[in-house]
Amino acid sequence: MMGKLWREVVIGTLIGGLASAAYACGYCIEDKIAAVYDHAVVMRAASQKHQVVFFALEGQIPAGEESRRTLEAVVESVAGVDKGSARVSVAGASLSAAFNPRRTAFASMERSLSRKLAPRGLTVAIMRVMDQPAELKPVGKR
Amino acid sequence: MRVSSHHTSEAAAPSSWHSSLFMLAGLGVLLAACGQNAPPDRYDQSKMELKSPPSVTSSVRNTGAFSSGTGLSTVPEIKPLDPSPVKTIQLDTTHKIIEIAPGVKFSAWTFGDQVPGPVIRARVGDRIKFSMTNRSDEVAPGLKVIAPPMMHSMDFHAAMVSPQDKYHSIAPGQTITFEFTLNYPGVFMYHCGTPMILEHIAAGMYGVFVVEPKEGYPTKVDREYVVIQSEFYAKPDQDKRKVDGAPLHVLDGERLRASTPSHTVFNGRHNGMVKKPLPAKPGERVRLYVLNVGPSKTSSFHVVGTIFDRVWMDGNPDNQFRGMQTVLLGSSSGAIVEFVIPEAGQYIMVDHHFANASQGAIGLIDAGGKPEEKGDIEHHNIPATSTPNDPEAVKGKLDFESKCLACHSIGQGPRLGPDLAGVTARRSKAWLTKWLKSPERMLESDADAKAMLQEYAGVPMPNQNLSDAEIRQYIRYFQWADQQQHADVGQADAQRGKEGK
Repeated sequence: MMGKLWREVVIGTLIGGLASAAYACGYCIEDKIAAVYDHAVVMRAASQKHQVVFFALEGQIPAGEESRRTLEAVVESVAGVDKGSARVSVAGASLSAAFNPRRTAFASMERSLSRKLAPRGLTVAIMRVMDQPAELKPVGKR
Repeated sequence: MRVSSHHTSEAAAPSSWHSSLFMLAGLGVLLAACGQNAPPDRYDQSKMELKSPPSVTSSVRNTGAFSSGTGLSTVPEIKPLDPSPVKTIQLDTTHKIIEIAPGVKFSAWTFGDQVPGPVIRARVGDRIKFSMTNRSDEVAPGLKVIAPPMMHSMDFHAAMVSPQDKYHSIAPGQTITFEFTLNYPGVFMYHCGTPMILEHIAAGMYGVFVVEPKEGYPTKVDREYVVIQSEFYAKPDQDKRKVDGAPLHVLDGERLRASTPSHTVFNGRHNGMVKKPLPAKPGERVRLYVLNVGPSKTSSFHVVGTIFDRVWMDGNPDNQFRGMQTVLLGSSSGAIVEFVIPEAGQYIMVDHHFANASQGAIGLIDAGGKPEEKGDIEHHNIPATSTPNDPEAVKGKLDFESKCLACHSIGQGPRLGPDLAGVTARRSKAWLTKWLKSPERMLESDADAKAMLQEYAGVPMPNQNLSDAEIRQYIRYFQWADQQQHADVGQADAQRGKEGK
């Protein structure tokens, strides 16, 4: 029991730290979210009781449409992420995806995504999670 | 009288000492008096209100009117200042179809469900309590062609606040509230600041915020109007969707990035203030609050027939110019211009970058004159809402309204050139085609053309280098306009018949 609580505190602290890093990037995180916000994805996720997660991307992102598509494919290869839900903004340096929280815990999805992006020199920082439309929440407040 | 120089130094010393003392005292009094009369520094940073509580974002949606609050009006109108020191303003974001030119239905994004957004008027020192619900996910009844819902935000150039806190984007269904105090007078832009900002502004998310000096403006005027210049970058919808039978137009990303607008307009509408001129009277002093939104073009704002008596750059009377012909405004720059209407006439507002004017940045101030004196405008007037259905006539109408109105009217009397009402009855199609193709050749050989030149004070019709297709479009429009007149006369006859007259 204590072990699980401790793990959540550590993950929460880690995520909080990353969110702060996103704030420090120069412009507000909601603008990065706006760059990858797709209302159709949000509504579809809500109807399935899935959640939509928004990450800031850090590192050198190759410009262009091909790079965007490749990154979306990487995101959708993570277990639990809904197919067709990934959105990547190269200019905004952010990504979003819907996932099924009953199938994959958020922390494990985030770890898996980080592992898959690491060879490309990219890291992710969680910005917000939307578990229902019009509710952009910090991860810790869900 | 000269003062004697034969005083002993001992005797002279006390007198000189007293004089100096009096002089110093006098200077002190003078300085004190100056200090008392010196106006307070309007820009004393220590007296500005720079504090505001953090913004609040919630999922409580406003479901009432799309805009509300004290001091709001719709262009070109600007209501008098509301004296309340605290102003509560709500502007919601919507997606809707607007008509930017006759027959051009455009998928716009708005503040307050209108483009431009509502005009806000307040004064230095006022506290603004602002709220905005992102209602881009609300579908207007009967419309299924609006843009998908997206995040939006509000950026007030009139405010001094943290952009990260107050100007952040909100998702559809969310509401943001924040407040601030107005510290500087001006004609300020407000706009959506969500990336891509260029797209959000070009789609219609902008408006003007007029902040008066605390003590009011130093002049009194008879009329006040707002003129907002902006660009649209429209292309026909790829899926060929239609709205009310007219083709839907959507944002053209390529044009947008290349800064090549399809329309440049005043107050959101191609030639809008040509059809609905701003009223004024000879001798009146007019104040225009002018804002160039852009997003990418400058404006050389000019009113034909007047000189700007005063120009306050960015709308601040401390930034004053006198006797200006044109005011140059970059994107998001504003100005207040004041001038006197010298005599009866139609005063033409234009962007003197005439490429912009030819795309629709043109309007009129109607101070009486010829059309009224004729007294039969109604007889010839074509209903303002009438638009031809034939695409060639539509194009001809747009071109006519862009390029010809400075010299011609249809049914509103002669200007530099003839009134073109009934022109297809007076001239054959072949004659009109030759005339539009090469007026200078016609003036050499054609008797009617020569007579016309004489009638219009020797001002020749310039060769517009029109293509055959463009000439055909003009003629189709003139034919349509003449048919409208006949229809009007026919309807009037029928009505008279019904009434037994």
